[in-house]
Amino acid sequence: MEIEELQATWTAMSQELDKQKRLTDKIILEMTQQKYKSKFHGITLYETMGSVICFATALFLVFNFYKLDTWYLMLCGIITLAFLVMLPILTLSTLGKLKNLEISEYNYKETLQKYTKVKNRLLLVQQFGVYASFLLLFTTLPVASKVLSDKDFFLMEKDVWLYVFIGVVVVFLVFFARWGYGCYKNITDSAEDILKEME
Amino acid sequence: MDREGEFIQVIKENEGVIFKITTIYTDNREDQQDLYQDIVYQLWKSFESFRGEAKFSTWMYRIALNTALTHIKRNKRKGHSVAIEEVVLQQTELYDTAFEQRIKILYKHIHQLNVLEKGLMLLLLEGKSYSEISEITGLTPSNVGTRLSRIKLKLRSKIEKK
Repeated sequence: MEIEELQATWTAMSQELDKQKRLTDKIILEMTQQKYKSKFHGITLYETMGSVICFATALFLVFNFYKLDTWYLMLCGIITLAFLVMLPILTLSTLGKLKNLEISEYNYKETLQKYTKVKNRLLLVQQFGVYASFLLLFTTLPVASKVLSDKDFFLMEKDVWLYVFIGVVVVFLVFFARWGYGCYKNITDSAEDILKEME
Repeated sequence: MDREGEFIQVIKENEGVIFKITTIYTDNREDQQDLYQDIVYQLWKSFESFRGEAKFSTWMYRIALNTALTHIKRNKRKGHSVAIEEVVLQQTELYDTAFEQRIKILYKHIHQLNVLEKGLMLLLLEGKSYSEISEITGLTPSNVGTRLSRIKLKLRSKIEKK
């Protein structure tokens, strides 16, 4: 098939499509009200679920904060609380900006630029989250130990299974962080490639 | 006619255009339906602010292509996809076999292009002028010309290899 044939096929197909009227008033109106279930709206599902878990845990910690009776346990508690509240807010607000990008005002190039900028911010938040989750692991353990079983993690006798547990969690965190970061990185890289190509 | 009625009218007049955009930017029916809904939703959201300063088709292509662009990036992490044939089938069920085959080949060639090239090729096939393509994409008209020549060369070499 030659280029000219592609053009001719496109034109013929367009004429055929113009004859096929599939949309009804009702379907169009429903689309304008986003009544259809779209995968697009589920994109932030993981992030929203994660945030609910974080906020619920933070609330639980606030109510049990009085159990943290030494300065170092309080410090761990404050760091844990800060991350549990800050990280979801940062992630959700960046995702919100991405979803509400005003695409009607800009041309293709400008949209791509703005989109890439917000995506990069999301990547930065993601990176921050990766490093924070490691620190969070070591502040959560003493806090959880005290709040849930009233034991001072720093003073208690540690058995070998605890070290195994920490090891497993660290390995899981490394893989999970790499996977999550990789997802966002791929998306941002491909957007930047197109931008470079347009310049 | 009220604003809602006007909108329904323009969507009905342009449903084929939206269909073509969603077909070249997706590779399975589910994604195509999602993108279709998203484009209609974005057009409705901006319909109030459309004051007729730009040509209606320029405005519509701009929003539809921008939606496709951001939609693709958002959905890129998904792995599953079905062959393009399944998407095209829905449209070609009324056509004869030879025509259906030609359409499949046409989409197959377009699908080999990158996101930007797809947009440019679509606008060219839709009969848009370089200045109109420039207005939609933000590229200069001369840049549009250069890029389209390159795309044609790329397509030609792919077609010849077959």
